[in-house]
Amino acid sequence: MKALSDKETKNKTVRPLRLYGDYLVMLAAPFILALSGYGARPLAVISVAILCAVLSDMLFCVILKRKFLLRDLSNICIGAAIALMLPAGVPLYVPAVASVFAVITAKVPFGGSMRTPFVPAAAGFAFVSVCFKEQVFDFSYNSAQKMLGERSLGALLMQGNAVRLNAINVFDIISGNVAGPMGAGCGLLMAACLVFLLFRRREALLAPLSFIAVCALYAAILPRVNASVFTSIFMELSSGSLLFAAAFLLSDNAAQPERAITKILNGAVCGLFCMTMRAVGTYEETVCFAVLLANAFSPIIDSAVKKLPSKKKGAEK
Amino acid sequence: MSNKLSFRDVFVRGAVIFNPVLVQLAGLCPVVAASTSLKSAAMLSAVAFAELIAVCVIASAFLKKVPRWVRMPLYLIIGLVLICPVLWYIETKTLINLSLSMKIYIPLIAINSVVAVHCEQFAVKNSVKLAFYDAAAVGIGASAVFVAVGVLRELLGSATIGGMPVNIPVTFKGMLMPFGCLVILGFAAALLKSFVSKKYPEYIENGVLVAKKEEPSEPVITQESVEAEEQTDETSSEPINEDVQGGIKIGTQEEIDEFLKSLGIDTQETGDEQ
Repeated sequence: MKALSDKETKNKTVRPLRLYGDYLVMLAAPFILALSGYGARPLAVISVAILCAVLSDMLFCVILKRKFLLRDLSNICIGAAIALMLPAGVPLYVPAVASVFAVITAKVPFGGSMRTPFVPAAAGFAFVSVCFKEQVFDFSYNSAQKMLGERSLGALLMQGNAVRLNAINVFDIISGNVAGPMGAGCGLLMAACLVFLLFRRREALLAPLSFIAVCALYAAILPRVNASVFTSIFMELSSGSLLFAAAFLLSDNAAQPERAITKILNGAVCGLFCMTMRAVGTYEETVCFAVLLANAFSPIIDSAVKKLPSKKKGAEK
Repeated sequence: MSNKLSFRDVFVRGAVIFNPVLVQLAGLCPVVAASTSLKSAAMLSAVAFAELIAVCVIASAFLKKVPRWVRMPLYLIIGLVLICPVLWYIETKTLINLSLSMKIYIPLIAINSVVAVHCEQFAVKNSVKLAFYDAAAVGIGASAVFVAVGVLRELLGSATIGGMPVNIPVTFKGMLMPFGCLVILGFAAALLKSFVSKKYPEYIENGVLVAKKEEPSEPVITQESVEAEEQTDETSSEPINEDVQGGIKIGTQEEIDEFLKSLGIDTQETGDEQ
């Protein structure tokens, strides 16, 4: 399979079908893991989210007299990504609201998923995090067998207690046996998704990798728990939807800047926002807010980087 | 600006086409922060409306000859002088209990950009009557947005309208936050632009809302002007190289004749008649 370059996708020489087809392949893995961990409940959550995303897009296409394409897989990707960041026991109206909000505020007004400056799934999740905080961060569903019961790693980090990990705990965490978002808990799977991305769209990995690096650096310098540097980094990266956001939200082609250096800076800015909000904010999961903020800063960073070579040229003259 | 403008023209421009909140994005701070319910939105609207009319009328009546650098702070001072006693009266002499956000944002209404912009752009350049019309139109436009946003935010965020409970299955706390208001304002602005592009297409140029341009008057070619051109051509050996309106460059006599022919004027016939 030939890897896509970002220029190709920006110039629309590559069909969105292939781009979002890749995302669907990536999303299938955490979905199967969620099914195995929580039974049939994730299927209901994901179906509602996808259905609402498709129907709201269809409705707005009718209102705005645009052509609705059944082949447009972006709605399915938006719905699935939102659902997989939510807990399995969430009331069904929450994924429905998140999907509708994502489509009508972050996708449709900007002319579609290939043009939007904001990641729609991040917008949808951020909206429900604010509106339904209790439901979105309630991980009690089917959590009796989990490592910490109904407590998530994010909640543990917020308390700032002393933590010591052993080999069993580490395996539990990276395999997703901790209460948390139903499809974003397994670190191994997220790493596999990033590897898949490496083979399909190499340039899209720049932002996620710089994001993860900055998050790790922040966790090492300013740990939230009384533990070793490794434990702090490991727990921060494994908690919430951080790795999921790196693989699925930060690699979004439309919302990313064009230049490689800007992608790296954008990912770094996103990481800085995410970790700062985790440290000082009241929300357990802040990565979607950070992604949206980084999306907003992306054009500024891009234009600042574009000015740099001209300054050098001026200095040479 | 001429005084022949009717109230309808001023109203349509001030309240709808160039709505101060949705198009000019002026006075956003009070709307976003304080219009979380119908009651607070109505109070903000009343204060903004009264204050805008008063300051615009005063500016039009007394401040036309005052230098611009003095006028700008004067608008704000007049606004504060009008608002602060009212606020003090409400606080001390009535039983109306203002919320903290209202106490902060009602004085801010006095110095918001809507007042300064409309006083400077319209009131001081027009008669008192037109300034009153404009202030009333802008006030109505802004108040309509305040109230609509207040109703929507209260309904979606608290499931009430004017304090009365409404049965809706889900409430969105986010709508009471500033971002909820900005989302509503974004959609309202899009709806307004769509309405303007359908009803008043002359204000839309390349998808952007612009001030209506007056049609440029076509160059009037009279007998005298043609004669003068002929004389100029005879006296000067150099070809004429002047740009005329429309971007056509005229050089030799033949080109002038061709240009005049294209306008439907036959110079030879005119000469025969003489």
